[in-house]
Amino acid sequence: MVVEQEVLPFLAWLPNALLIFAGIVVGMGLVGLFVGYLVAAVRHGPGEGFYVVAGVLNTGIPDLVMISPRRTWAMARLAIQESLRNRVLVAFGVFALILLFGAWYIDIRNDDPARLYLSVVLGWSNFLILILVLVLSAFSLPNDIKYRTIYTVVTKPVRAGEIVLGRIIGFSAIGTVLLAVMCLISYVFVIRGLDHSHTIELADLADVTSGTGADSTAVVAAGQSATRTLEGKSSFNAHHRHDVKVTITENADGTKSYRAVADTQMRHTHDIQVVEGDEVTFEIGPPHGALQARVPVYGKLRFLDRTGRPSDKGINVGNEWGYRSYIEGDSQARAIWTFNGITESRFANGLPVELTLRVFRTHKGRIEDKISGEIWLKNPNPAKSVETVRIPFVSAEFSTQQLPIPRKLEGVDAEGRPLGEIDLFADLVDNGKVEIWMRCAERGQYFGMAQADVYLRAADRPFFLNIAKGFTNIWLQMIIVTCMGVMFSTFLSGAVSMLATMASIVLGFFTQFVTEVADYVIARYPFFRRLFELQEEQGAPGGGPIESAVRLFTQQSISTDLDPTPANAVMQAVDLVLMLMMRLVAFMLPDFRSFSTVDYVAYGYNISGDLLAQHCAATLAFVLVLAVIGYFCLRTRELAA
Amino acid sequence: MQSPATAEAAAPAAGKPQQQTPDVVIETRNLSKIYRDFWGRQKVRALKALDLEVRRGEIFGLLGPNGSGKSTTIKLLLGLLFPSSGRALVFDRDATDVSKNERIGYLPEESYLYKFLNAEETLDFYGRLFDMSAARRRERINELIDMVGLQWAKRRQLKEYSKGMTRRIGLAQALINDPELLMLDEPTTGLDPIGCREMKDLILKLRDEGKTILMCSHQLADVQDVCDRIAILHQGELKELGRVDSLLKVQDVTQIRAQGLSKEAEAEICALIERNGGKLLAMENPTWTLEELFLNIVRESEAHPGRRAQER
Repeated sequence: MVVEQEVLPFLAWLPNALLIFAGIVVGMGLVGLFVGYLVAAVRHGPGEGFYVVAGVLNTGIPDLVMISPRRTWAMARLAIQESLRNRVLVAFGVFALILLFGAWYIDIRNDDPARLYLSVVLGWSNFLILILVLVLSAFSLPNDIKYRTIYTVVTKPVRAGEIVLGRIIGFSAIGTVLLAVMCLISYVFVIRGLDHSHTIELADLADVTSGTGADSTAVVAAGQSATRTLEGKSSFNAHHRHDVKVTITENADGTKSYRAVADTQMRHTHDIQVVEGDEVTFEIGPPHGALQARVPVYGKLRFLDRTGRPSDKGINVGNEWGYRSYIEGDSQARAIWTFNGITESRFANGLPVELTLRVFRTHKGRIEDKISGEIWLKNPNPAKSVETVRIPFVSAEFSTQQLPIPRKLEGVDAEGRPLGEIDLFADLVDNGKVEIWMRCAERGQYFGMAQADVYLRAADRPFFLNIAKGFTNIWLQMIIVTCMGVMFSTFLSGAVSMLATMASIVLGFFTQFVTEVADYVIARYPFFRRLFELQEEQGAPGGGPIESAVRLFTQQSISTDLDPTPANAVMQAVDLVLMLMMRLVAFMLPDFRSFSTVDYVAYGYNISGDLLAQHCAATLAFVLVLAVIGYFCLRTRELAA
Repeated sequence: MQSPATAEAAAPAAGKPQQQTPDVVIETRNLSKIYRDFWGRQKVRALKALDLEVRRGEIFGLLGPNGSGKSTTIKLLLGLLFPSSGRALVFDRDATDVSKNERIGYLPEESYLYKFLNAEETLDFYGRLFDMSAARRRERINELIDMVGLQWAKRRQLKEYSKGMTRRIGLAQALINDPELLMLDEPTTGLDPIGCREMKDLILKLRDEGKTILMCSHQLADVQDVCDRIAILHQGELKELGRVDSLLKVQDVTQIRAQGLSKEAEAEICALIERNGGKLLAMENPTWTLEELFLNIVRESEAHPGRRAQER
């Protein structure tokens, strides 16, 4: 799974986030005051305008503080009744239809059906619930104003803040109930969708014990136990079958004990109970291992280049997306992950390493052959000069492979002299840190990796908790969309506020891209480069929207500089301001991409508490800001105009 | 005949803001409203420097043709619009101050209510917006539904209501908080003659209970029936203000109504008028108003179902 941004611990994230929040609040407050004054000054003149703004603030701040829960709840109840009577439950029907017929289209022959099932249910729940609250929240208040029902409400002692907050709470409540039911249905749908069983017939299993027959009988006769191994395949169900291995131990007293295991297919295996009676039969348990919530411990990745010199990145093999870097095979190039917090209590049985590598081939060779590499542990303290022997492995491309590293290993020193058996914690871990080194062993082939591609699987969390966390993240997105819809609807018509909210969601999903586009222009100015910590190469020729348009119509190449005329200078300054504003807007919008944790659940990674806490805090901040903006917009609006 | 425009000079002097006395419930000072378009250009000057006072316990009528500024005045007083200049005070507070709404009730021109609620839910919703306990709210809802005669339809959604029924429930919501001041925008529109009569009776009853009522209407007969004082607006300007009885009084005409006079007696009265230098304008049998006729027929029909109305 791709983890582009490292998740900081909540408490480390909070101070900086609070600072940014305070900055945005102060900035928006000042801009709001300025715009409010401008509007009031146009309507009432510069002097009177000042008093109007002061009056709004004077009554607005106590209004916001003295919000009545009773009236707010009355407004929320109204929003709930409105939604229910407006057949909001149709959304349920759509969801049920998707689940009913969606199962036809899910490719159950896929290697990882659990991922598909989870992506479908989470993705559709997310989409449906966002659309639902978008429509509910964007049209409610404008309809009240259009049909003038708002007249009978605002002529009661209701504050604008209570109207805004009541709607947010009402629609959120409706969305919450819908989402909770969707979560439950999804869970049952996934569990039932993946549930299947196989049968195993003893007669179908072949005896593969080495030295069967007389030898084993001889051993039993000598008063010891002997084992026999049977191997075969299970029945073909749910588009796969498992390899089964049955071990029969014949004890000295003549009794037999059986142990049967199935291999892992489509990311799951089954427990097998052997029932001894007149005939030996097998009871196959439900699939397990497909639905998991792994807790990964990520390390910091650095590289050595082909000559063994440290470098920030590996080789770019031509991908535009620079997420993964590559190391060259059979050279000094290394990928090194440094892990922190490695304690005996957490990893008593060694390090459960999991890795997902990409391979880039410069020659085909035998295309089905996997590329081999080596992995080893090293003490990060150079003075200790201890590392393990190199453990060879072959890459399983496009899927996660497990590479458990035992606690006791053969050690070598820096020159490769053997040190005998060493202990992970006594010899390799220094202040809780350990390094994992990796090289690609084949000349002309490359291993590609990102920081999150190698991790230690610290523990597993219950799957139902993870799906609940996934739905919680959808819920948080829903709350933000509701607030946005209600906020826009305080000053825009229904259709326009829906469009504005949708635009914000789309921009929110592409904040990174929007920022990059803005930086094409901004990074050309040294002052802003320093301010936003940009590199010169992040700038791009051609300029902002106006300059680009001028170049387009005058057919000037983007690589030639424009003449330094005052008109061009003004044009570029306007472009810069536009791009700065675009960057600011992208900065302030919720990053919906980071809120979307569907991949975590689908790929079987635990959604960390830190990430969830960050999203909760960010949502709270958005709710506060959007509700306050909504209040002032509604408060200063002439509802009968 | 004298023009009624010269009547009562008791109105406050225009343009002179003065301290509101406890008896004054509504006061507007130099209140003006200009509607502008998005770009701030003036579209309509809906109200021009209106000075008005409505006193406690009176029924005050706002009259005027369409577009004269009646509804604008009410909306300014409710805080639904903001004045372009001047001030609108209700209970000595600015009209945009929400807390004044605790003491007022408003019946809009058309009943702008949530059609997806039923009568009980509607009143419960509006009741919750006031500081009323649940028990008091229930009691009040029952009282009001009884009063407007909708017990039989209280569980039906408002979208199934007729216009008259919607008006009734609209009135009930305006009274939910037992307000001191009622603002009624065209209160009799959409009501049948019985409903009109009941509405007018109710307005008078509320006045007798000490409430102040501000109403605007096109139905001049209704205004004449119930209002103590009226203001006539035209093109946003105040044209006339005063007590209805003195405004409508024709000072130099005397009307005598008598019963049981013979033809001779009538001739004698005519002669007497002529002898005293008067001029007989009319001597005729009065007619019922259509409203009186209608109400009598309905009452009789209710008292004796199945019998045809008597010939008069």
